[in-house]
Amino acid sequence: MSANKWLATGNFFTTYKQEQRTFLTNLDQSFFTFFLVILFGWPLLFELSNKSMLVIDNILIAIVAVMGLNLVTGFAGLISIGHAAFVGIGAYTVASFCRTIGDSHIIITHFWPLLIIFSGFMGAAFGAVVGLPALRLKHLYLAIATLSFQMIFQWVINFMSFFNQGQTIFVGRVFWFTGKVGRKDHYVFWYFVILTVVVILGFGIRNLLKTRYGRSLIAVRDNDRAADAMGMNPGLTKVYAFALSGFFAGVAGALHAYLYRGVGFESFTLHESIGYLAMAIVGGLGTLNGCFWGPVAIKFLDLKVESLAELAGQYLPSSMNLATALKPFTFGLVIVLFLMYEPRGIANWWRIAKSYTKMWPFRY
Amino acid sequence: MKNKKVLFLNALLVIAVMFAFTATANAGGKVYKLGMSLAITGPTSDAGNPYAKGTEDYFKFVNETKMLGDDTIDCTIRDDQYKTDITKRNFEEYLDEGIVMYLNYSTGSTLGLKRDFEEEKIAVLPASYHAGNLDDSNYIFLPVASYSEQLVALSEYVVKNHKGEGKAKVAFFIHPSAFGRGPVDDAKKAVAAGLNMEIVEVVEHGKDLDNSAMLKRLMSKDVQYVLSHTVQSPVATMLKDSSRLGLTAGSYGEAGKLTFLGVHYTGGNDLIALAGDACKGYVWTCSFNLTSEKNDGTTKQLALAKKYGRDDKAANSHNYAAGIMVAQVATEAIKRAKAAGLEINKENLYTTLNGMNGKNGYSPYTTIGPVTYSKTDRAGVDMLQIYSVQDGAFKKVGQPIQSEYMTKIK
Repeated sequence: MSANKWLATGNFFTTYKQEQRTFLTNLDQSFFTFFLVILFGWPLLFELSNKSMLVIDNILIAIVAVMGLNLVTGFAGLISIGHAAFVGIGAYTVASFCRTIGDSHIIITHFWPLLIIFSGFMGAAFGAVVGLPALRLKHLYLAIATLSFQMIFQWVINFMSFFNQGQTIFVGRVFWFTGKVGRKDHYVFWYFVILTVVVILGFGIRNLLKTRYGRSLIAVRDNDRAADAMGMNPGLTKVYAFALSGFFAGVAGALHAYLYRGVGFESFTLHESIGYLAMAIVGGLGTLNGCFWGPVAIKFLDLKVESLAELAGQYLPSSMNLATALKPFTFGLVIVLFLMYEPRGIANWWRIAKSYTKMWPFRY
Repeated sequence: MKNKKVLFLNALLVIAVMFAFTATANAGGKVYKLGMSLAITGPTSDAGNPYAKGTEDYFKFVNETKMLGDDTIDCTIRDDQYKTDITKRNFEEYLDEGIVMYLNYSTGSTLGLKRDFEEEKIAVLPASYHAGNLDDSNYIFLPVASYSEQLVALSEYVVKNHKGEGKAKVAFFIHPSAFGRGPVDDAKKAVAAGLNMEIVEVVEHGKDLDNSAMLKRLMSKDVQYVLSHTVQSPVATMLKDSSRLGLTAGSYGEAGKLTFLGVHYTGGNDLIALAGDACKGYVWTCSFNLTSEKNDGTTKQLALAKKYGRDDKAANSHNYAAGIMVAQVATEAIKRAKAAGLEINKENLYTTLNGMNGKNGYSPYTTIGPVTYSKTDRAGVDMLQIYSVQDGAFKKVGQPIQSEYMTKIK
């Protein structure tokens, strides 16, 4: 360990325990704590519009979902193109309760934290089942298996009357210690809840990766035969990677259900799955901070492209049809450009920026 | 010293003039904020695009012709790409801006935001005519008769004009969603209530590029009438396949052949453009005046489109008329509230809309009948016009009709 606990310009680990520290320097820890205080504190100082809060909440939910996808695809190297269906499992777990016991039942409105966790476990259960083909399948074949799950999910939701054939199933307003969370406070309240979930799950991944269970994910990704030879169980590792991913997705789905106060089929389609995959790629597969960068970048890109299409529509009314193509075109272009020029995603820019500041004012 | 005094007086004069002009500018009318969210891009944008243009043009016209005096309407129109999540975001933005009335589009988002409308107590005019919009809701006002009412009225038309012995055998060709499925139950209820027809099959179409097998199956089941409730493109595919196979009836109800009919979103000029000659004889219900039938209303519609430089396709679209119509209803509500000396806010516009009935019914130039609303009836135009494709255009068939069985099954 470096003698200076505030500024470490290199690796001076003498024990594994030192390497497993969550924060390498006190400066890192201070910056993180300061950043966290700002994240939790700013809504108390500044009032944003409901629309802006909804956008921010939506990004935070996407972060939770992408964390799950990154576990299975980024860290364990198993392609999943049915992630939106896992998110949907979480949302429809809440919706199923609403259909069965009523959307204003005390379990929905008062015990919502438990229901969110339960939705996560439902996602994990489905994830483990869908992960079973991973015992035999790899690469593209496994991707097709996850695609099948996406299709089955869509079909079931779209045709079963229990799920209102995909139309919105309402979720009641929740209660907090201060009483019912009304319309005025709804988005700020869920901002704090989702942010707390993001922080807890973020630390969860960080700690998981320091354990043998986390390391085995990476080992299986890099070479499952070698991992097997080292005494790991690649089959079990793959299944639990799917289960973990499902848990994160399930939690994201339940949060989505509560934030939007309803569950509708169209938020969990194949298009959304591709969107999550794009966020993971753009953010940086196999990195924790990529889970934050990706959703932020893609969601803001979406908003900007929407504004651009709208602006074009004002000056060139006939461009409305062009505007239809603008969003998927930009979306596709960004993914292709990242895959070509920065396959390690925005997380790599962050790494470069960090290593630069770490050495500053020295060049090397 | 004297120069300084003159300079000072001049400066005072300039400031005074500036204040005077500012005061004049502020003395102008009030601005009423409205919001509209619809699919300008993405799925169903072929309907949403002209719809948005209709609304935009009419509000421009209202402001330019000073229909509300010095007051103006500022209606922000945003694209939601047919997604409920984006619609919700748009709606929240409009609420932040202080809208007094909201114009929505899709069935999914109207159902999805129903609770928000109730909580906000804001009157909403959607482009979705789904009957389910009115369940457990007080603030959604359908511009015209619901899809259910249209499908039941069309079924009644089939029964009344059935050629041949026994019951009319029909098949429903519907969109695979709640939008498509919704009216089928009501049609079944009408049959149970005594409507003399047999529903042989309900077909939920996919994204099929060929309907030959489906059409031959219907023929093997002696189906005589196919009633569609979906959007134009699947209907066009079906009509072209039927025409190619020689299954389309040469005249209405021809025995051993298929006669095709459909409700609101299945017809219009887009269907003719997509299906060409294959849609000859297609029977369609709509509550709007069509430009293929010249009258005072359609002349005004075309003039409006011309004034704002719209192309022929948009100008002649019934979706353009539908967009104008919701803007007309919103403007009329504001006008009436103003005339009654009421403040223009959500509550008063809601009350004004509910009072739009009886002698106070409103007849916009875009529809075939008056718009009437009350606390118990929130479907605007109750009349339906039957149109049929003749010589490449939709032409009126008889006088406007109204469903008899809808009142029985409600």
